[in-house]
Amino acid sequence: MLDMPTIAIVDDDEAVRVATASLVRSLGYAARPYASAEDFLADLARDPVAAPPDCLITDVQMPGITGLQLQDQLQAEGRTFPIIITTAFHSEVLRQRAVASGAAAFLEKPFNGDVISEVLESVLARIGRS
Amino acid sequence: MRATPEAQSEVRVEAQGYDRLAPRTAAILIAAGVFLLDAFSPIEGAVAVLYVVVVLIAARTFSRRGVVLTTAGCLALTLAAYFAAHRTDEVGAPLLRCFVSLAAIGITAALGLRHKADAAVLAEQASLLDLTHDAVFVRDTRDVITFWNRAAEQFYGWPADEAIGCVAHDLLRSTFPADRAAIFDTLHRTGRWEGELVQRTRAGETVTVESRWVLQRAAAGAPLAVLETNTDITERKRTDSQLVASERRYRAIFDNTRVAILQQDWSGVKADLDRLHREGVRDVAGYCMASEGCVVRMRNRVRIVDANSAAQRMLRAPSREALLGTLDERLPEADQTFPQALAALARGERSFESESQVRTYDGETIPVLFGVSFPADPDDLGFVLVHAFDITERKQAESALLAVQADLAHAARVSTMGELTATMAHEINQPLAAIVTNGEAALRWLKRPSPDLGEATDALGRVITNGRRASEIVGRIRGFLKKAAPRQEWLDLPEMIGEASQLIERELVRHAVSLRTEHAPGLPQVLGDRLQLQQVAINLMVNGIQAMAAVRGRPRVLTVRTLREEDGQVACEVTDTGEGIAPEMREQIFQPFYTTKGDGMGMGLAICRSTIEAHGGRLWVTDTGTGTGATFHILLPAGAAP
Repeated sequence: MLDMPTIAIVDDDEAVRVATASLVRSLGYAARPYASAEDFLADLARDPVAAPPDCLITDVQMPGITGLQLQDQLQAEGRTFPIIITTAFHSEVLRQRAVASGAAAFLEKPFNGDVISEVLESVLARIGRS
Repeated sequence: MRATPEAQSEVRVEAQGYDRLAPRTAAILIAAGVFLLDAFSPIEGAVAVLYVVVVLIAARTFSRRGVVLTTAGCLALTLAAYFAAHRTDEVGAPLLRCFVSLAAIGITAALGLRHKADAAVLAEQASLLDLTHDAVFVRDTRDVITFWNRAAEQFYGWPADEAIGCVAHDLLRSTFPADRAAIFDTLHRTGRWEGELVQRTRAGETVTVESRWVLQRAAAGAPLAVLETNTDITERKRTDSQLVASERRYRAIFDNTRVAILQQDWSGVKADLDRLHREGVRDVAGYCMASEGCVVRMRNRVRIVDANSAAQRMLRAPSREALLGTLDERLPEADQTFPQALAALARGERSFESESQVRTYDGETIPVLFGVSFPADPDDLGFVLVHAFDITERKQAESALLAVQADLAHAARVSTMGELTATMAHEINQPLAAIVTNGEAALRWLKRPSPDLGEATDALGRVITNGRRASEIVGRIRGFLKKAAPRQEWLDLPEMIGEASQLIERELVRHAVSLRTEHAPGLPQVLGDRLQLQQVAINLMVNGIQAMAAVRGRPRVLTVRTLREEDGQVACEVTDTGEGIAPEMREQIFQPFYTTKGDGMGMGLAICRSTIEAHGGRLWVTDTGTGTGATFHILLPAGAAP
């Protein structure tokens, strides 16, 4: 179980966050839910020794730091874990921006269980963590 | 009247009050001399004939009686001298000379008296010439003035003694209306001439006279003198020219103004109006509208007698003459203003203004603003001026403005709806996303090789929680919509219907439908959305107009009536005179997507009904009870009285 990949989940909506965490765990991963990008960044900074998550799933529309800003900041800090951007409001422009900035995937809410399972598998396989 | 130079000299003798003492003394001295010579000189001759001189002086200066007495005296002196110088038995040459003398004296006296009588008549006639206001003068064949009456003295400023002897038209510096030779030719040919002369007075003032010339001929026919009578028409000419200028100015305005002006003859309707007045009809407009054919008959009695070029342009007539006809030819069937104008005339008003439509020469109908000016005197009704102004552009601007306002109101609503939709989507999407994700998670927990019932139960519990949350959000939105959507305000139905009528004016005209509105007095206001209720009114009215498109042979009338119902409701009824609606169709027409129009959506009446129901009212249709047409009824809860 120690080898279980860890997925960080950032979403300001508690219901969605809890549901996503449950879905991620049901797929056999460890879930670390955060209510905001600020909380996630603070957690990363507080414990630099502890391993960062293997993957991040973040909502785009959030008060404070948005999902895209979070992605930019993590890249600026040299973080290399893959980032999956999710949104309830699909827009092609948003998708292109997210992918252009280096997002591993762009998913619409609500998630399809099979899709998120495949995406997580392929993303983690790419970094040798599946 | 004629005057001769002789008469003129007599007039002057009378007029100047000639001193009579000198001739009297001369007569007496001559008579005495002649007597002494006759009686006592040895001259053998008819010396007494010289008494003729005395008689001539008397005839010239004495009265008739004086002449007779002088003559008698002379005869007596002749006889006395004879008897003194000769014996009575002596007959022969002296007696013959005496008789010759007596005869000469007698004949001279007789002639003198006759001349005196003639002169008196002439003097009397000549004095009449002084009474006339016309300047009268006589000029001889060389144009030299020989007589000059008192009026001429006053008018021209020269006294008679200065004027007489002058060449008439040099003195007056006359300007002739035609060639002078031609004028004199006419005078000599016909014996008279009349015309206008421009002359100068002594003071240098220019005067215009109407001149009448009469030629006096001698017995043999040779011209003798000309009597010229001149009437001063300077003032009349000035007034005339002012009138002409005024007329010219009026004509210039009439012709050049951009406002169309029609001169109309309304005298034909006066008899009808008088008759109505005698019969005690006070509401002329109402009476005419109600009585069959009255309006058309009256319209045909009003004639267009003149039109300016602006009217010709506005009415697109090929010529001014093309417009001259009856008013009926220019007014569309649905015109409502003519009876009102008649009523204004019947009330004795001097003007009437309104908006209406007129038919152009090429058959189109254009909106106009017009004013009618009635003359002060009803006998002058042949001269009624109507000015009109084409307001097509203004009307178009008005409808464009109204359309823009409606668009803006609509846009405001759409944007509100847009915001609402975005909020709704966001609010609902979150719990939906949670529900689906939790569902997916529950499935995964159950599908695991060793199903984790605890996790699955938790996930399903969250599905229910989020489902409830979504339902609450929907409830909140509905509550918000209920509160915010209709813009409630207090509305005056007649006023709102009036606005709606303006919007469908063109539709009314195009289909030749007359609109009647009847509003109950003191109607309570209703609470509602102005735009929505106006849309309902417009929808029902346009439907009514279109329902009458096929009507022939009976009036197309759209009646909008507002009524106060006893149960605290306000009713509005829209009635047409079309073909009506079959009973089995009366509910169907309110169904969505039901239409009789090729291009219709079929949503009009369905939306109308849901709008009215959203205002707490009802909308239904009945027949009119007259066999033709349909009536749409709206019932709305009444609010405060206005």
